[in-house]
Amino acid sequence: MSSAPDTRPVILIANRGEIAVRIIAAARRIGASPVLAASVIDADSPAARLADRVVVIGASPAGASYLRPEQVAQAAVNVGAVAVHPGYGFLSEQPHLAELLAEEGIAFVGPRPETLRAVGDKGSARKVAIAANVPVAAGVEIEDVDDVQNLVTLGNGIGYPLLIKAIHGGGGRGIRLVENSEQLAVLVPQAAAEALGAFGNGALYLERYYGSARHVEVQVFGDGEGGVQIFGDRDCSVQRRHQKLIEECPAPGLSEARRKVLHDASRALVIALKYRGAGTVEFLVDTLSDDVVFLEVNARIQVEHPVTEEAFGVDLVAAQLRLALGLDPELPDVAPVPPATVIELRINAEDPNQDFRPNSGDITAVTWPRGPGIRVDTQIEAGYRFPPYYDSLMAKLIVRAHNRDAAVAAIASAAANTRIEGITTTLPMHHFVLAHPDFIRGQVATSWFAPVWENRSNGVSS
Amino acid sequence: MSAETTPSWQDLLDLVTQLNDSNYESASVQFGDVSVRLSNVAGFQDGGVAVSAAPVAQAPAAQAPAAQAPAASAPAASVAVAAPTVTAPVGDRIDAPMIGVFYRRPSPGAPAFIEPGDHVEADTTIGIIEIMKLMNPITAGKAGVITAFLADDAAAVEFGQALATITPDAS
Repeated sequence: MSSAPDTRPVILIANRGEIAVRIIAAARRIGASPVLAASVIDADSPAARLADRVVVIGASPAGASYLRPEQVAQAAVNVGAVAVHPGYGFLSEQPHLAELLAEEGIAFVGPRPETLRAVGDKGSARKVAIAANVPVAAGVEIEDVDDVQNLVTLGNGIGYPLLIKAIHGGGGRGIRLVENSEQLAVLVPQAAAEALGAFGNGALYLERYYGSARHVEVQVFGDGEGGVQIFGDRDCSVQRRHQKLIEECPAPGLSEARRKVLHDASRALVIALKYRGAGTVEFLVDTLSDDVVFLEVNARIQVEHPVTEEAFGVDLVAAQLRLALGLDPELPDVAPVPPATVIELRINAEDPNQDFRPNSGDITAVTWPRGPGIRVDTQIEAGYRFPPYYDSLMAKLIVRAHNRDAAVAAIASAAANTRIEGITTTLPMHHFVLAHPDFIRGQVATSWFAPVWENRSNGVSS
Repeated sequence: MSAETTPSWQDLLDLVTQLNDSNYESASVQFGDVSVRLSNVAGFQDGGVAVSAAPVAQAPAAQAPAAQAPAASAPAASVAVAAPTVTAPVGDRIDAPMIGVFYRRPSPGAPAFIEPGDHVEADTTIGIIEIMKLMNPITAGKAGVITAFLADDAAAVEFGQALATITPDAS
């Protein structure tokens, strides 16, 4: 800025950590002015220093700052923002923030509030999916949790084992595995009481359980009027307690027919919703049958979006911002399978040898690997005090190569050349997984990691 | 926006917040023309912030490219901060308990709730912060004499920003 008035549109970033850094970069790329809404402890974070301005929205705990729609909306008003990017987590899928902003004539970088509602609970998301001819797991809503006779009939109709799911649950919470009808009669009333306590609503449904399935998801981008672009798929099956650890694009070993089912179903869903912006349709891909079933729609940019960006050479976050500003998102039409394979590691501030216990403190030194195809999305640096209040994600290490074998070798090398001192990280776990024959072969199921890590030999620690 | 070389009250507040949790007995920081001394030592009067400002003239807007803060400078300047005050405030700070818009009067044109020099009780309303059309009365928090307002009427304020200073009654 010189003496000329700053006419750049202001984008308020209502998030923190690596995704705040990522959105700041996208805002700069489209010529906007990034302003960060931060909690007290984040007011001088590395992301804050990258932004044009910082506005302190509340105290450090997320419940007093990043999770308060009215504080974020007021910050947007105060700084004269034309759009608010909520990142992922926090308020990213909260219709209330989108509505508050709409009242002020400020764009919410995400789907419309009614879309967030339609896909926000498992019950309505499932109905939307069924209506769009998207394959779903055999399942049924429970009308009366105390009607044992009916429960047994419902359970037998699906077959065992099956899952009890809280309709309003999410992120892997509110799910129980049931082996037989006796367990079902006992667990359903318990699950209903828990769901009522945890989610404010005790509604449940029963669903067929796939014990050995992969997590495969499709990246979509809708224009808000029924137009849709598909940006391939990702495999996120290396998980621990429903938390993704490693993601890759494309999903390995999918037949052309299966990939077509996933992409076509996702396209149908986005068209039915007139979905606006970036989103993900998640599926379970069974390894024991040909079944492919819908899991949920993530109505936001996801943590693992970089693998798609690198595989196809696109900037999804810049596209989100352009669309929110009423511009052409400038995304190309791409083939179902990208010309490269990309793998991402989530490096968390957790100790994998102590049951993944989170830790925080001063980061004393950081060294990132260099080389072709390497991308690091992070906000940490030497001297940064990793705060205890938030998610444990420290960095995402992303590597692109010409095929999967080369990508596995390249990311193993990149991980081996990464050093983070001062805080215990999940890097040793990544070294273990990247060297494991099952992962190198590819197509592991979501149930693969936990027992393999549990039974690892003692030699791998650190 | 203020020039990057001039600390905002938010910058000072951040500094105090950081030092408050540490073991420093005293600290001295130079922001361009302004030097700030902070001390934890008992006896250092009135809340522990002292600002000795060399002439902090209104920096010409052209002087500071705000979008390119020097790496070594304070965190990015905060939004709508109180203008740098030449005279050091006297007394304890009354901070904004929330982000919003600060009003010193109950309605436009009405007299201010409080003027500098007025004596207040702990529960006396000194202003209002509006957040998304919700009006929140802001009280003095302690009995004493309001010495200055650091946020203007109808100014956008941040969480933790200093609104006013108060000299507490001797107890």
